[in-house]
Amino acid sequence: MNTKNNFIKIAVPIIAIICSFLVGAILIACIGGNPIEAFSYLFRGAFGTASNISDTFVKATPLIFTGLAATFAYRCGVFNLGAEGQFVMGAVASIWISTTLTGIPAPLQLVISIVGGAIAGGLWGVIPGILKITRGLNEMIVSIMLNYVAILFMGYLYSGPLREGSVPQTASVTARLARLFSPIRIPAGIIIALVLAAVIYYYLFYTSSGFKLRTVGLNRTAAEYNGFPVKKLILISFIVSGAIAGIGGSVELHGTQFRLMSGFGEGYGFDGVAIALIGQLNPIGTVLVAYLFAVLRKGATTMQVGTGLPTSVIDIIQALVIVFAVAGSAFVNLPKIRQVFTNLTGKSKKEGK
Amino acid sequence: MEAIMNVNFIQELLLSMVRMATPILIVALAELYSERAGMVNIGLDGMMAFGALAGFLTCYITNNPYLGILAGAICGILVNMVYAFCTITLGAEQIVYGMAINIFAPALASFIYKIYFGINSTLISNTLMSAVPIPFLSKIPVLGPVLFNHSPIVYLAYLLVPFTYVFFNKTKAGLNFKAVGEFPKAAESLGINVIRKKYLASIICGGLAGIGGAYLTTCYIGTYSDGVVSGRGFIALSAVIFGRWMPGGVLLAALLFGFTDALQLRMQVLNSGTPYQLLAMIPYLCTLFVLAFFGIKKAGPKANGRPFFKEER
Amino acid sequence: MKKKWMALVLTMIMVIPGLVACGATGTKATTTASAKTYKIAMICDSTISDGGWGAACYNAMVAAAKDNGFETQYTDGISSADFASSMRSYADLGFDLIFAPGNQYTDAVKEVAADYPDVDFALLNGTVETKNIASILPDAKQIGYMAGALAGLMTKTNSIGFIGGMELDTTKAKLACYEAAAKAVNPAVTVNSAYAGSFSDTAKGKEIAASMISINDVDVMFGDASAVDSGAREVLAGYKDKYDIGQPSDLLAIQKSDVVICSVVTDNATMLGLCMKDVMAGTFGNKTVYGDLSNGALSVGTFSSAVSEDVKTQYLAAVEKIKAGTFIK
Repeated sequence: MNTKNNFIKIAVPIIAIICSFLVGAILIACIGGNPIEAFSYLFRGAFGTASNISDTFVKATPLIFTGLAATFAYRCGVFNLGAEGQFVMGAVASIWISTTLTGIPAPLQLVISIVGGAIAGGLWGVIPGILKITRGLNEMIVSIMLNYVAILFMGYLYSGPLREGSVPQTASVTARLARLFSPIRIPAGIIIALVLAAVIYYYLFYTSSGFKLRTVGLNRTAAEYNGFPVKKLILISFIVSGAIAGIGGSVELHGTQFRLMSGFGEGYGFDGVAIALIGQLNPIGTVLVAYLFAVLRKGATTMQVGTGLPTSVIDIIQALVIVFAVAGSAFVNLPKIRQVFTNLTGKSKKEGK
Repeated sequence: MEAIMNVNFIQELLLSMVRMATPILIVALAELYSERAGMVNIGLDGMMAFGALAGFLTCYITNNPYLGILAGAICGILVNMVYAFCTITLGAEQIVYGMAINIFAPALASFIYKIYFGINSTLISNTLMSAVPIPFLSKIPVLGPVLFNHSPIVYLAYLLVPFTYVFFNKTKAGLNFKAVGEFPKAAESLGINVIRKKYLASIICGGLAGIGGAYLTTCYIGTYSDGVVSGRGFIALSAVIFGRWMPGGVLLAALLFGFTDALQLRMQVLNSGTPYQLLAMIPYLCTLFVLAFFGIKKAGPKANGRPFFKEER
Repeated sequence: MKKKWMALVLTMIMVIPGLVACGATGTKATTTASAKTYKIAMICDSTISDGGWGAACYNAMVAAAKDNGFETQYTDGISSADFASSMRSYADLGFDLIFAPGNQYTDAVKEVAADYPDVDFALLNGTVETKNIASILPDAKQIGYMAGALAGLMTKTNSIGFIGGMELDTTKAKLACYEAAAKAVNPAVTVNSAYAGSFSDTAKGKEIAASMISINDVDVMFGDASAVDSGAREVLAGYKDKYDIGQPSDLLAIQKSDVVICSVVTDNATMLGLCMKDVMAGTFGNKTVYGDLSNGALSVGTFSSAVSEDVKTQYLAAVEKIKAGTFIK
């Protein structure tokens, strides 16, 4: 029963991905392109050379962070749509730390910076949390508003106080995350992300505290009835979720971008929510789906360069993955469909023995 | 400072406020209809983008902005039907699906625009809907032009407010509608077809959201670009909560947003010293403060966001 | 247990096409060195259909490519996180010259140029010179002077406006010179400025122009904000005597307009052409191509009928002075 459930959970995203590629292919053919050629450029862009593989990892890293943030929050029944703002605030804290705390050895500065990013993200995430607990406010709107405030604040900083040079952007950070395993040059940031994913996986599924958190998400009434500190758990989930996103921002700053500029962190927040859901709210799934999204994004430019097709085709495919995957998950969870599956397994049980 | 006290300035400011509030108002009303039937639709941004493109393209081809608005409505409905099917019939998570629409619809709109127009050195523009001043009222000093010299869609938006109020509070159809959002099971047992009402709500929501988007490209500015919506869908969403799910409240919220947005732009011109980003934060911070201090627990329709299955008893 | 196998299978599904792609494209990637068709690519963060900077740079590239026999490609609408990876994609696919139309690409260009020493990079408004990076620098101050002089001469209300996109140093320089030049020809003039914060938000352009007109009765405007300027022009078109000065393309030569009186034209095509010739000759790099009035890279655009002969004469005299450097002491 359990394995059958898991099988379905994994089959749905895979089928969704295949379906989206099919629709994408049809779309490409409609405008006169060659789908096979287009997709081969796509894969080439993502995997073709060592530097491409490395770039795909680089693109996947922030997505893993925001995906994990969304997963964690969602597991507690909470919608953290503020990952974008928390990501940005984490980077803001990091740049501030990096430019103020000069004169200490780089590794130490890096650690302090990332911790600072986590704290900033956590603080930014706790605001909707507190408002939800104390005033029953819908956390979605609050977090979306905070996203805008965070992005504008960052804009203010890199155009004004923290600006360096002739373009609106901050100075670059000196402590940088290394690239390992030349020639593939895996960014150190993704190692951090993967470790974090493992930690979260362990916490959610193998600790009693994680269990309580998940219970709140599945059935809040039952959790309250059992005496779980529901409000505290919700608050913790906001803080941790925000912190994860904040670390993501920090890592992106130190590992890839090195400066804050216009467009930093754009789109990662919402993509993270989608990734979490397609990955079935499982940290491992999140990592894999984030990687898939990165493949799509990285390959899109090469495809556009090689075939002249507009990059929005890839955006559509990416959106379709979400559309199909979420619909698919909902579909297989319908009571009627569940009945169909139970009948199937029931029959085989009787026959198989 | 005296510039602010200038009547001309205030009049221009109010005019701008009305102009900027209209799309928010229309889309917020769209969301109101949807949420009153228990469907939280955060895909407003996406529907607006698609409606904006549809309106722009139609107006460009036919040279008729009214057809553009119609096209916007139809396309908004089409997009929302995807959402409706998946959330009502399949029972998918509404928030998530709304986000999916937000990613899908603008991508599709951008794609269609590129395919149709290709590369151009100038920004393509179409004819704007001209303002229709109401004969007598628009001559009233100060307020006249502000309220009564706009394109017809603006009038439509404002007329929708009392219409919505009457619909929800005084008509049987409206009360049934609300019941679907509050107690779907009770409504079902009373013979109200919950599923049908939810689909109806989605149609209205899609249509209005599409009109809101089309307004941007046929009445407000005559060009389409990928960022034309600029997050107005989310502002509309907060306007609904702000306005406590009442048409009058939503109107006030939309006007407030329009006002702060218009004011913030003008303050930039008046006072080039302050960094514009800080001024641009004002609308959002306002929302947050009002929400934090005046938000009420669970003021929305009680069954908001939950899928409805007939079989569950 | 089964779940973990599934995860493994999923990963394989993703990796295998990659390995296939690696193998298959090994031979395809290397272009034949003989019978060389040179290829240039442009990346741009805004769209190239913005009627402003993006469009001008794209057209410049196409024009220069036609003159020199290059093939062109472009990617627009890129976010800042993707600058470097887009350029890498082009470098990988064997492009010879990559054109980055703005100072904001500097970091990405430096990073990618270091990894691809055989590919050349042209950076507009840049200040970097290396073995494979050359900068193209149109004189922002002269642009500002030219626009300001015309605005100062044309204005009847002694109130002129400036819209910036982002607060780039080049924009700030243009604004400062705009103001200085306007005051030099018309000491009574006041300058109003605002930044839209974007190069694509046409609606903002509309609002800024409307408020400048209502608050300060501005009647001539100049913008450095691409699509935002289009919004401003829409508002100005609604009035009889309000005008706009365009840049960097010669707007009146492209499209009829009642609003545009003239443009400050930047000939990016010629400067880019110089870079292309360098690429073909193998002498690329370690240089900055300057563009100003004296070498023709900056010039006065077509005048509209709204500009009287008297103003035209005065203006062209001022431009001569700007060229000679004697305009502003």
